[in-house]
Amino acid sequence: MIHLKDIRLTFNKGTPLETSALNGVNLQVPNGQFLTVIGSNGAGKSTSLNVIAGIYKPDAGNVLIDSSDVTSWSVHQRARLLSRVFQDPKMGTCEDLTILENFALALGRTNGRGMRLAISDSVREQAKNRLKLLDLGLDKRLDDRVGLLSGGQRQAVSLLMATSGNTRVLLLDEHTAALDPKTASFVMDLTRRIVDELQLTVVMVTHSMAQALQFGHRTVMFHRGNIIFDVTGEDRSKLTVPDLLALFKRDQGEELSDDALLLG
Amino acid sequence: MSLYELLGTLEVGFVFGLVALGAFLSFRILDFPDMTVEGSFPLGAAVFAVLATAGVNPWLATLCGTAAGFVAGYITASLNVRFKILHIMAGILVAISLYSLNLRIMGGPNKPLLNVDTVFSSFEGFGIPGIYVTPVFLGIAAIAAKLALDLFLATGVGLSMRAAGANPAMASANGIDVGRMRLLGVGIANALTGMAGALFAQLFGAADAYMGIGVIIVGLASVIVGTSLFPSRTLFLASLACLAGALLYRLAVALALNADFLGLYASDVQLVTAILVAITLVGQSTGAGRHIKRRLKK
Repeated sequence: MIHLKDIRLTFNKGTPLETSALNGVNLQVPNGQFLTVIGSNGAGKSTSLNVIAGIYKPDAGNVLIDSSDVTSWSVHQRARLLSRVFQDPKMGTCEDLTILENFALALGRTNGRGMRLAISDSVREQAKNRLKLLDLGLDKRLDDRVGLLSGGQRQAVSLLMATSGNTRVLLLDEHTAALDPKTASFVMDLTRRIVDELQLTVVMVTHSMAQALQFGHRTVMFHRGNIIFDVTGEDRSKLTVPDLLALFKRDQGEELSDDALLLG
Repeated sequence: MSLYELLGTLEVGFVFGLVALGAFLSFRILDFPDMTVEGSFPLGAAVFAVLATAGVNPWLATLCGTAAGFVAGYITASLNVRFKILHIMAGILVAISLYSLNLRIMGGPNKPLLNVDTVFSSFEGFGIPGIYVTPVFLGIAAIAAKLALDLFLATGVGLSMRAAGANPAMASANGIDVGRMRLLGVGIANALTGMAGALFAQLFGAADAYMGIGVIIVGLASVIVGTSLFPSRTLFLASLACLAGALLYRLAVALALNADFLGLYASDVQLVTAILVAITLVGQSTGAGRHIKRRLKK
């Protein structure tokens, strides 16, 4: 479960560049829910994700994960409870290390690390089994450096790494945005399969309204640092992108003017 | 070059091999340009000299010099991690303060080691001719340090350290405390340097407050020369290339100083070093060196 309680965050406080990024965001994501988050640039969607991950500390408010208050926890401490996939495929993996070593790092997130050798037979076996899911033949390339893989392959590996170990919360930060359409849909299908199988609690930030409505159980939209609507269940399944635009116009009294949001 | 000179070059080359391993760890693995070594090298020597002349066992005194190096590196990394001082600046601050500290430790600018037992004297009388004892022992020490470093980097902690250097955002997202890895890694790098300083003092029979000058560039030169000349796809080969680089670098310097037609003095060693490193770097970025560099990157 993820719970954001009245989160406020201002960037560059006290300077001419002061921008208020989050103005009292309240959000509760129950266990096993797949939440999709949309919003235009600067609306606060990625900032909220970074607040959950611990990259940004809120000026006010609390962050709860699985009923522990993690507001003061650092990024690496929160890694015991959550995992994330970045937008940039280069960010989620370490290109100088082999596929196997990357897996060992991800498994160390919940299994602990010590002075024993990082690569054991059990790590090798787990990595192999996970990689078979992809059907890309990567399970036979365990000792290749990740830098040799394509962006799509790296993103798929990042996703597998993030869902190895026993964290229950998965944060996806526009994780298909940097991929070509075919690879993006491959990674999205993989995401759905893994999330269904493991019953994870997911927050997925996306730039595409269509993707936001197509995947998951619930959609929230950010605008100017607030959540402006929140749909779930039957209301959501009937909703189309034009409906969403109309809703936005009605509530905000302005047209949505972010091309990426409309075209995605 | 005579046999004596060659053996002397090997001895110094192996000692600086330890410095090169430290530079490899901080510069290459952790991506932390660490200037502390300019101070931790003479620190290791000073600690050894003071303890050994006071009658402490030379092995224990060398160990203390190593530990002192670790502490110096740890302080540099703390200034960076805890107080957000730029890494280069943090290293320079510690190195500068160590200069004064070394003078205090030794009670003067140098400390001769007259009639003091060294770690080399433990091996005398084993049937190996005297002049070979020191280079053989130092060679074994350098290779042992290399293997220990390889082994460490293959452990859970070592792998985390590599990730912390290569991709800090990914490392912390995977639960690695990047700051702690820097503290430990820069500490270990300077422990190796402190050990090199202690051994160097025993080799030359004195510790000197000025002996740290240029150590940083010697360490870096060894790493750059080594990894440029030898393909180093794996860590095992990369750390081996650092040792080979240290030897080659010392050999190149010895040859340059020996070549009478060049008319160089021993005091020109820093200039020769800088020119050698510059040539290697230029070679890397132009023509011949480029494909080597690309191969290293892949």
